[in-house]
Amino acid sequence: MRVEVSGLTKNFGAVRAVSDLGFTVEPGSVTGFLGPNGAGKTTTLRMVLGLVRPDAGTATFDGVPYADLPDPVRVVGAVLETAFHPARSGRNHLRVYCQAAGLPEQRADEVLAQVGLADAGGRRAGGYSLGMRQRLALATALLGDPAVLVLDEPANGLDPEGIQWLRGFLRYMAHEEGRTVLVSSHLLSEVEQTVDRVVIVGAGRLVREGSMEQLRSGADDAGTVLVRSPQAARLAELLREEGVAVTVDEDGGVTVHGRSSAEIGARAFAAGVELHELRPHSSGLEEIYFQLTAGQEQYAAPVPGTAGKAAR
Amino acid sequence: MTALVRAEWTKLFTTRFWIGLLIGGALMTAGFSVLFTVLAGVEEEGQQALPEIGTPAYEELALSVAVQANVFLLILGIIGMTQEFRHKTAVPTFLTTPSRGRVVGAKLLAYAAVAVPFALLLLAVNVGVVLVAAGARGNAPSLTGDNLQTVISSGLVLVLFAVIGVGVGALVRNQVGAIVGALVYLFVIEPIAALVGAIQVVYKWLPGGAIQAVTSDFQAPDVLEPWQGAVVLLGYGLLAALLGTLLAVRRDVG
Repeated sequence: MRVEVSGLTKNFGAVRAVSDLGFTVEPGSVTGFLGPNGAGKTTTLRMVLGLVRPDAGTATFDGVPYADLPDPVRVVGAVLETAFHPARSGRNHLRVYCQAAGLPEQRADEVLAQVGLADAGGRRAGGYSLGMRQRLALATALLGDPAVLVLDEPANGLDPEGIQWLRGFLRYMAHEEGRTVLVSSHLLSEVEQTVDRVVIVGAGRLVREGSMEQLRSGADDAGTVLVRSPQAARLAELLREEGVAVTVDEDGGVTVHGRSSAEIGARAFAAGVELHELRPHSSGLEEIYFQLTAGQEQYAAPVPGTAGKAAR
Repeated sequence: MTALVRAEWTKLFTTRFWIGLLIGGALMTAGFSVLFTVLAGVEEEGQQALPEIGTPAYEELALSVAVQANVFLLILGIIGMTQEFRHKTAVPTFLTTPSRGRVVGAKLLAYAAVAVPFALLLLAVNVGVVLVAAGARGNAPSLTGDNLQTVISSGLVLVLFAVIGVGVGALVRNQVGAIVGALVYLFVIEPIAALVGAIQVVYKWLPGGAIQAVTSDFQAPDVLEPWQGAVVLLGYGLLAALLGTLLAVRRDVG
């Protein structure tokens, strides 16, 4: 099932949270919905799910808006900010939505087992850890065995093991079972190994939409490598001769853009330049993501030191 | 709709707050039943504060005190609606049932139905305590004719207040605001309205006046017919629910 978003716009008072946003999410793949905090990701997902009314635009599932889906639980499963009554057990929480959706109540136990909460189902959800809450939210989304999964920052609160499990789970849902998976995150590195496609937003607008291959193809020469050498000036000169962008700082550190560590090491070795340190500083992908979304954080904090200097 | 009503019952009975409300309502009913019976016919400065035991006036008064517990059913309905917003379960609820009007409708039906056994229990407490207490003073009322009608009317009022609670909750959404607002209305605004002669014409159309119409209290001023009072109370509940659905429940959640 294909999710299509078109011309989506939402204002909160004078603040334009989402602006003429359009993208598609394809079945059989995991799509990462990326952007800095405050880029409008959550608002967009809430509009897609009919919880927030857009000022303009549409979001449809194979052409049908969420509110018009005859049996929405069987079509779309959503993991948003965790929501449950603290006094209700995890299992009873799930039973409520089984009943409301006309699903057999044994689904509650099935999804609890699926997310690894089988033993905790009888406990009050208010006593759950953050990671268990996320799993309960995921279990709620899975009740109707939906064709589409929409997850808003699902890795929040999960331990590294849980994140690893979630990655495998989402890939399995998309690649083996052909479901449509849309997962939001403000960290590219968090979903880099999971997603097949990306939709990148900044300040409520679409910045980039495409496959990870397309994003990576521009990334090979976008990374930076940090080099330390007693002959920093000579190394910088050598690399500049080849047209490489290089910056040298006072204590012998050289930052090289667009060359791999191996390439730089080989060049230094050939020229007999002594190296004390050679390490990748940022991957090309991160660099591209950073450039695409730079300056679009809603509440960007100044880099320590810089704001003060500018003011003086 | 049956599925949604069942889901509402599960939501209610997988939490505990209803137990406290039921106990509170039962204690209040028992307390007023004893108080009215003990004070019945007692003279104060040559005047009877309450009618003598054995008179129809006493029996009607004593057998309608369960109505005083209407505030507990009101709060039951308010919490039933507003906790969806307080604990953000409105999100999974509206994801499961995108039609918010159907959610409110299911809550109205579910809480009206739940209020029936709740009301029966409060009526049992009321009747039981009055029979024992008045019996101890030598004149237990019979449960026939007008007395039976009074008891049934009291139960009807209790059920209608659960419906009004759901409506108020839909309109206000904020749990504390809805409860405080309802209490201020019931215990401050309405008693004042009942006292001010100039607005007594209006008072008979207010919930307090409608309650008096249904239970036809002897002290009542000019009130509506009992059936009209019931319709007015139901009308308040449904109107609040309708306005709430249109103005508040349909607003963005998250």
